Amino acid sequence: MTGLRTELRRMWIFTAHQLRSRWRSLTIWGVALGAMGALYVVLFPSMSTFMQEYLEQAPESLKGFLGELQGPMTIEQWLGMEYLSLLIPVVLPFAVMIMGARAIAGREERKTLDLLLSNPLPRRDVVAGTVLTMAIVLAGVLAITWMLTYIAVPLAGVDLSPARLAYSLVALWPLCLLFGVLALLLSAWVRRSAFAITIPAVILLAMYLAEVLGQAAKSMEPYRVVSLFYHVGNPVEGDFPWTAVLLMLAGVCVLTGAAVAVFQRRDVFT
Amino acid sequence: MGPRTSSAILTEGLTKLYGRRPGIEGLDLEVLPGEIFGFIGPNGAGKTTTIRLLLDLLRPTAGRATLLDRDAHRQSVALRRSIGYLPGEFGLEPRMTGRQLLEYFGRLRGMDDLGVAPAMAGRLDIDLDLPMGRLSRGNRQKIGLIQTLFHRPRLLILDEPTTGLDPLVQDTFLQILREARDEGRTVFLSSHILSEVERVCDRVAIVRDSRLATLETTESLLEKRRKRVVMVFAAPVDAARFAQLPGVTDVQVQGTAVSLRLQDGIDAVVKLAAQFTLLDLRVDHPSLDEVFMGYYGEQK
Repeated sequence: MTGLRTELRRMWIFTAHQLRSRWRSLTIWGVALGAMGALYVVLFPSMSTFMQEYLEQAPESLKGFLGELQGPMTIEQWLGMEYLSLLIPVVLPFAVMIMGARAIAGREERKTLDLLLSNPLPRRDVVAGTVLTMAIVLAGVLAITWMLTYIAVPLAGVDLSPARLAYSLVALWPLCLLFGVLALLLSAWVRRSAFAITIPAVILLAMYLAEVLGQAAKSMEPYRVVSLFYHVGNPVEGDFPWTAVLLMLAGVCVLTGAAVAVFQRRDVFT
Repeated sequence: MGPRTSSAILTEGLTKLYGRRPGIEGLDLEVLPGEIFGFIGPNGAGKTTTIRLLLDLLRPTAGRATLLDRDAHRQSVALRRSIGYLPGEFGLEPRMTGRQLLEYFGRLRGMDDLGVAPAMAGRLDIDLDLPMGRLSRGNRQKIGLIQTLFHRPRLLILDEPTTGLDPLVQDTFLQILREARDEGRTVFLSSHILSEVERVCDRVAIVRDSRLATLETTESLLEKRRKRVVMVFAAPVDAARFAQLPGVTDVQVQGTAVSLRLQDGIDAVVKLAAQFTLLDLRVDHPSLDEVFMGYYGEQK
């Protein structure tokens, strides 16, 4: 029991150190995404009329692409069109992918891993502590994003439920985390941080394209199932995607376990 | 200090292959508690590979290592509490100060303070409150040395520790190592600088071509050294007379200059040279490579 407590304490020291060194980037990501959200909310009243007129004249394929919008556009539809379906889920994973890639391969490249591992810190704690750091950073960024976006709601005079906005962001948390942990796994395996970022980035963009093209073209629709974006859906307009979220969290656990196993077995070079 | 152990480091058939290329092969080595042990060899001989195997950074292809009576792989985390390690090459987070690094590493080691770090920083003349990105190479090396020693480890493993240090600081550092030994700590010092090894090490192992070439006391290793003596005379001299002196080999003549290798005392050579008009006399201590060559020459 004491051993477990000591190990948890050490992992927390490692995590807290990483969080301290990343609070600036956490704030920048949160403020940038939150400001963008606030801008979307503020622009909604003036854009909704214009978008409605535009959509009425748009071809059917474009309507399909934009979610079969019918009647006056709601703030949920407006946010779901781009902000919550493109900006955050495609951009935010890069924040944690970079973190995952730098955690092991990046430390080897910067020659700081030897000194870190010369302390009584098990390799599994480096992996687990990095996943915990990514999870906390993502939660922090999404919380700042939620707060700044919601501050604009009364200013714009729109009707948006804080809970609905919150759980649409919460649904993106495991999605972003999954890509971060994939980068960490590659970082534990290949010793090249650029590779560890590139592969998840390509998968992320391919999934996004599969979802977008599947929405736009009937022939591409079967391919949507390979995309996590399809399974997450658009929770700001609909139900919370419990199944997808739980499966993504299971994926995070599996990839974390794989990263621990790979890192335990491999040589560390400088 | 922890409990007394039978060996500070014990390796049995320790082997690491990088594909087909050997990093180190069949290393059998014992380092005794409380000694400064020199591990020397030319670049690429296998020194760093051995150290990384001891630290569990590399996994051995064959063989095993025991440090402080604990398995280097299976008990590596527990072992690292008692070990201070300085890598040959290391990076430091540029935004952190030395103090922040030591506080962080101290917390990971369960320490509530900086141990002997402030005193060491004073002796090595380094400001712990500067961001490490602003430090010169030598000062970054000092931070590395302090992080190795500040928790007062039982076993110090140092890979080329004096690289980048000026001679005065090198002296101070070697004195710190002697003090560590006097307190009963063990020092495993990898180096390719023979003079440094001569000054502090009790015993020395030489690795060459990924194998242990010899393991002996520093004194007996030094006896194998041959100095090169170069003398420049006012006029050509009969070099054969120098070749007849005891301990003299490899006599070469170039114009009025005579060079020779000398194993024993220089007295006889100086007395013979004094019979001529001597313009210059230089004594070169051989490089480590030359010691190796001399050593292998004797073996053959």
